Amino acid sequence: MDSMVRNPDVKQRDAAQAVVVAVSSDAIFDPEVEQVHGATEPLRKGDAFSFMKAIQVVNERLLTMNSDETLLFDVILLSNDSEEKHSRIIASAKHYGLDIGRFCFCNKEDSIESLQSNNVKLFLSTDTNDVCKALQKGVPAALLYRPTDPHHQTEDQLKVVFSGDVIGSSEEMLHGLREQGFTETQLQGFKTAKGSVKEFAVLMGEMRRRFGLEGSPLCTGLMTVWSSRNVCASALKTLRGWGLLVDEAFCLAGAPRSPILNLVQPHILCLDGLYHMEGFTGMS
Amino acid sequence: MAEIKTTDPTATEAGEEKDWTAAKAFFDSLKTNKPRPPKPQYAVTIAVSSRSLFNMVAEGKIYKEDGVEKYVTYQQEHDNEPLMPGVAFPLVKALMNVNARLRRLYPDSDELFDVILMTNNHAQVGVRLINSINHYDLTIERFCMTGGESPIGYLKAYMTNLYLSKDGEKVIEAIEEGIAAATMFASEDVENQLSDTQLKVAFDGDAVLFSESEIIVKQHGLDTSFEHEKEFENKPLAQGPLKCFLEALGMLQRKFYAKNERMTCPIRTYLVTSRSAASSGVRVLKTLRSWGLEIDEALFLAGAPKGPLLQKIQPHIFFDDQMFHIEGAKELGTIAAHVPYGIGQKYNKGIFIEQPAKDMM
Repeated sequence: MDSMVRNPDVKQRDAAQAVVVAVSSDAIFDPEVEQVHGATEPLRKGDAFSFMKAIQVVNERLLTMNSDETLLFDVILLSNDSEEKHSRIIASAKHYGLDIGRFCFCNKEDSIESLQSNNVKLFLSTDTNDVCKALQKGVPAALLYRPTDPHHQTEDQLKVVFSGDVIGSSEEMLHGLREQGFTETQLQGFKTAKGSVKEFAVLMGEMRRRFGLEGSPLCTGLMTVWSSRNVCASALKTLRGWGLLVDEAFCLAGAPRSPILNLVQPHILCLDGLYHMEGFTGMS
Repeated sequence: MAEIKTTDPTATEAGEEKDWTAAKAFFDSLKTNKPRPPKPQYAVTIAVSSRSLFNMVAEGKIYKEDGVEKYVTYQQEHDNEPLMPGVAFPLVKALMNVNARLRRLYPDSDELFDVILMTNNHAQVGVRLINSINHYDLTIERFCMTGGESPIGYLKAYMTNLYLSKDGEKVIEAIEEGIAAATMFASEDVENQLSDTQLKVAFDGDAVLFSESEIIVKQHGLDTSFEHEKEFENKPLAQGPLKCFLEALGMLQRKFYAKNERMTCPIRTYLVTSRSAASSGVRVLKTLRSWGLEIDEALFLAGAPKGPLLQKIQPHIFFDDQMFHIEGAKELGTIAAHVPYGIGQKYNKGIFIEQPAKDMM
C-alpha cells in the first residue's frame, strides 16, 4: 500500500506522455546523516543531486522551445523512510527547488509494485542490488552513476550512457559466452535487460532529437566494455534503428573502465546485465 | 614494462581484472581468430586521430563550409564507403606487422603495440570509421569518440604512450599533460616505397629526445652551443618528450634479440640530427648510453639538410621539433611529425613566432 503525494510546488506532467522516472530518496538526499528526532532543517544533498539539476535544465529547455511539450521528465521520489521523515523530505525538496512531481512513500517490499503501477519508465538507484531486483521483476532500471568527486559532476547537461555489449552482440555471440562460463541465468538476465533498455532508449532518442548536435542539454553515449569494435558498431546501428543517435561512443575492449567513466561522468548508466557477473561490486 | 606506465593507485583492481577476463573470454570465443587487444598496462599504446588515420579532406571541407549537422549527415549517408588511407596509415600497418611477429615469438605476452582511435568526431561518424577499419583489416579495437569534446583527458585514461594528430593545438595540449605527441604532416605526392617488413622510426635529437641544448642554440647561436656541449660532454642531456617512446621501442627490439632475431628485427630506429659528430655528437651518444637506450643508426649532419637523407631511409615516421625540417622532409616525400616542445617551436627559420603548427589538409 503506498502513499502518493503530489508536490504542490511543481506543475504536474501528463504522466501518459512524460518520461516517468522514479528516483530513490537515498540518492537525492544523503541518508548517512544522523537523523535526530524532530529535526527540521533541510536534508543534505545526496549523490544524485546534480542529476536532479540536470533533469531540470532539460525540462526547462524543452518548455522554452515548446510551452505545450509533453515529452518531459516526470520525477517520482521513492522513499522507504519512516513516517516522521516524510514531511522533512517534502520540505527539503521545496527548499532546493527540485523538480519532483510526486512523492511515493511505501515499504521496501512494496516498492516494486509501486513502480509497476505508476507507469514508471525507469527506476534509478545508486544501489546496484536495487537495480538488479527491479530488472529481474521486469521493471526497467538503471544505475545512477556515483563519480569519485560528486561536486565535479555537471549540472548543465544530462548525460545518459548505454552499455552496448549485449545490445550489439548477436544471439550466436551470446551463446558463445556460455562456453566461457557465463550461466544460463546470467545470459537470460542479459536478454531481459536488453528489452527494458529499448523502451527507454526510444524515449531518449525522441527527446535528443528535439535539440541540435551542438549545445544540447541532453548528451547520450554508448560504451562497450569487453567486446570488439564490431559489437560497438552493431550497437550504434541498433540504437540508430531505435531512433537514438548517440553523441559519444567508447569501445574499451577490456581496458579498465573506471578511468574512462570518471571522465565521461554519466548521470545515468543503463547497464545490460553486467552487474549479474559474480562478485560484481558496483561501478564507482 | 611496468615502469613505462604509471599505475593509478585508486583503480579498483578486482573490477579491472573482471573486465579484462570478460574481454579475453569474448575474443577467445570469436570464430574469426581475431587477435585480442593487449592488456593496456603492458602495451605500447599509440593513439591516432581519425584525420591522421584516414584521409578526410573532402569531409573536412563539408564541415567547414556547411557546418556540423550537414557533415555528420554526409558521413552517415556514406557509412559503407571506406575512407582513403591517411598519413598515419603506413605507420599503423607497420605496427601491426611488428605485432604479428611478436605474437609468433611470444604468444602469451601483452607487450605489444596497441593502436587506439582517439577522435572528437561525433559517434555517428563512428560507423563509417569502423567500417573503414574493417575494410583495411586494421587491428584497432579500442576507440574514443567524444562527440565534440576534447579527447585529451582520455589519452591518460587509456594509458597512451604516443598521440598522433593533425591538429597542432591538441598535440600541444597533450604534451602539456605529459603525453608524448606529434602533429602529422602529409608528405608531398612523391613515390615512396616504405618497407612492409620493418618499422622504421626516425628521431631528431633536440627537443625530441633531449631538451636542453636547443635552447642555447636558439638564444645564443650555434658556436656557443658547441662550446657548451664540449664543456658538458659527460653530463647527460635532459629528457625530451619522446625519450620514453624510444625506450618502449628498445624494449620491444630486445624481445627479438632474445630470440636470436637481431638481423631480421622488424623495428629499426634512426637518430637524424643537425649536430656534428665531432663537436656535440659525443654528448648525445653518451646520454643515450647512460639511459640504457640503443639507437640503430645515428646520423650527424653537421647542419646539412635532412631531406635527402630521410628520402634514403624512408621511415614510417620522422619526428622533429622544427617546422623548417618538417617542410624539408615533406618536400621529398617523408612522413613527418612535428613535436611542439621547448623553445624550438616558437622559432621558424630563426624568426620568433607564436602559433602552433597545423596541417590544414
